[in-house]
Amino acid sequence: MKDLSVLCGDALGLMTPLLLAAIGGLFTELAGMLNIALEGLITIGAFAAAAAVHAVSASPHFPAAGNGAAAVIALVAGSLAGGMVALGYGIGSQRLKANEFVAGLATNLLATGIVVALADRLLGNKGVVSLAIPGLARPLERTLGNMPFLGELLFRQDILTYASWFLVIVASFVITKSTFGLRLRASGSNPGALATLGRNPKRYRLVAVVLSGLACGLAGAALTVSLSAYVPDMSAGRGWIALVAIYLGGKKAGGVLAACFVFAFAESLSNYAQGVLRVPSDFILALPYAITLAALIGGAAWKRLRGGQIR
Amino acid sequence: MKAPARAALTARLLGFGVAIVGAALLAILLLWGLSSSFSASLELFFLGPFRNAWYFGNMLAEASVLVLAGLGAAVAFGSRNFNLGGEGQVYAGAIAAAAILLGLPTASPPLGIGLALLGSALAGAALAWFSGRLKLSLGVDELISSFLASAIFVYLGGFLISGPLQDPSSNFQSTASIAPAFRLARLFPPSNLSTAAFASLFALGLAMFLSKRTRLGFEFGLVGRNAEFARYAGIDTGFYVTAPMALSGALYGLAGAFLLLGTQYKAMKGFTSGIGWSGIAVALVAGNSPSAILPSALLFAYLDTGAKAVMIGSDVTGDIVSVIQATVFFLVTARAADGLFGTRASRLRAGGKKAR
Repeated sequence: MKDLSVLCGDALGLMTPLLLAAIGGLFTELAGMLNIALEGLITIGAFAAAAAVHAVSASPHFPAAGNGAAAVIALVAGSLAGGMVALGYGIGSQRLKANEFVAGLATNLLATGIVVALADRLLGNKGVVSLAIPGLARPLERTLGNMPFLGELLFRQDILTYASWFLVIVASFVITKSTFGLRLRASGSNPGALATLGRNPKRYRLVAVVLSGLACGLAGAALTVSLSAYVPDMSAGRGWIALVAIYLGGKKAGGVLAACFVFAFAESLSNYAQGVLRVPSDFILALPYAITLAALIGGAAWKRLRGGQIR
Repeated sequence: MKAPARAALTARLLGFGVAIVGAALLAILLLWGLSSSFSASLELFFLGPFRNAWYFGNMLAEASVLVLAGLGAAVAFGSRNFNLGGEGQVYAGAIAAAAILLGLPTASPPLGIGLALLGSALAGAALAWFSGRLKLSLGVDELISSFLASAIFVYLGGFLISGPLQDPSSNFQSTASIAPAFRLARLFPPSNLSTAAFASLFALGLAMFLSKRTRLGFEFGLVGRNAEFARYAGIDTGFYVTAPMALSGALYGLAGAFLLLGTQYKAMKGFTSGIGWSGIAVALVAGNSPSAILPSALLFAYLDTGAKAVMIGSDVTGDIVSVIQATVFFLVTARAADGLFGTRASRLRAGGKKAR
């Protein structure tokens, strides 16, 4: 029982970047786009966060590490960088009418290429770079962290994890209750009707893309902050898994949350397996993709079984 | 030449031109930003591939592999099947060929090479066919499933190379080298250009013949242009999902095999990386037309060789090729060119799903 609560608690921590990316991707998905650029946007966010912290901590004006400023700088820089790259992707695919899918592919390629090219320049190293980012605050740990079961599970998470849950609620509210959310969904499901209202569906798609970029950039920064280091290929397929989580979650915020937890639990389990079973690392690295593919096939088969429509 | 055909050709050439100029400008910008000796690295990038026999031959050798990978991508895209698994399929082909040749070190060269090519084509085809099959029977998006299956295989392949196939006498994560009898003859030593280039040219000729002169090629293109119409015309459109995917995977697999037989002689961890994406870029620039694959492959081989010359000869270390590739992807599909040049380029774009 105690193992289960630890495993689930770890999973909730691991879920944070995935959840952030998936919630961002939910906006583009509802706006009718297949946003395969999530992976590249996470990569950009992780790198920008590292580059910002690296640059700031090299400056003499930066007070000794130990306060939360480094983490805040990382999160803001990552999110903004993700948003900016997403804006380019959005302008390309919506305004310049580039094929959405190929433009997404290009964004991913560009992200990996530019990050490798810049890592040497900005971080002074192409490999792992450790950064002066203190651990994030865990606001409930002292008061509630010792509760049986729930303490391990819920109350030892860091503040970013709680913030990501809050963002899910906000996103869900915006999508289902607000006028903006209604129009955003219309830009995907019925762009003609939206155009009749005098609203440009493409503008809503562009906003959705930028929102997904901000969220994915934040997700990438969360990876950097949680490790206090930058590791090449840090995203490791999370963008793709987020995309599948959106599908499996039925394109609803609650469903996406549940799907993300399943993936995070699998990750936490595979971390555990790596320690205990001594499985070759190649298998562990392949696991997220394998789980995603299995979930995709399983989800499609399940839809078929329930007599769902053939796409 | 009839007017529509001429307009189509003009559009493709314009698209090609925009992509080349854009990629060249970006390369210049990157070198300016990243290099401390701008003019020297600029010269290396643009003239390096022609400077000596080694670079020049390697450029042609790379183009010959890219022709196969580009055909692989074009076969799938031309029939509106999005095979994104090229990376894994090239790797699978190379590893299959290595395993076969290492398992049969004393076979006669024609037999051994023949079996290796067959095995590599089958390995690549199986990986891609799986995604086509999933699309047909469960409606799973093939572009996601092929990407994922390929990503899984990239790690499994890494495991095979550093595990069961690992050369015990080597400190690198690689298989042993294949027997010298199996290595394809070099045409232009010391460069890597080998007789594999003839195989690529043969495949190219075959593809051109099939697409222009046979019913198979005609139906293939028809399904790609308008699947609904093709279905009404009584064409088995299901066949044109699994068959192009398998053929695409087979070509990718062969690209991997020829890289092994002609250039590398042994499979190292990650040694084929990037060929799958390059194949897609080659096919996009060529507008999925077999006759345009060769110039397109030469262009990418030139860019890549130039980038390698820069990496070896200057202080720019990064992966500037993938940045250039990304720009080409973007420019080739961006329909902004339509407005600029007033052509009908948009109809000729590499296919893509209309925004849903």
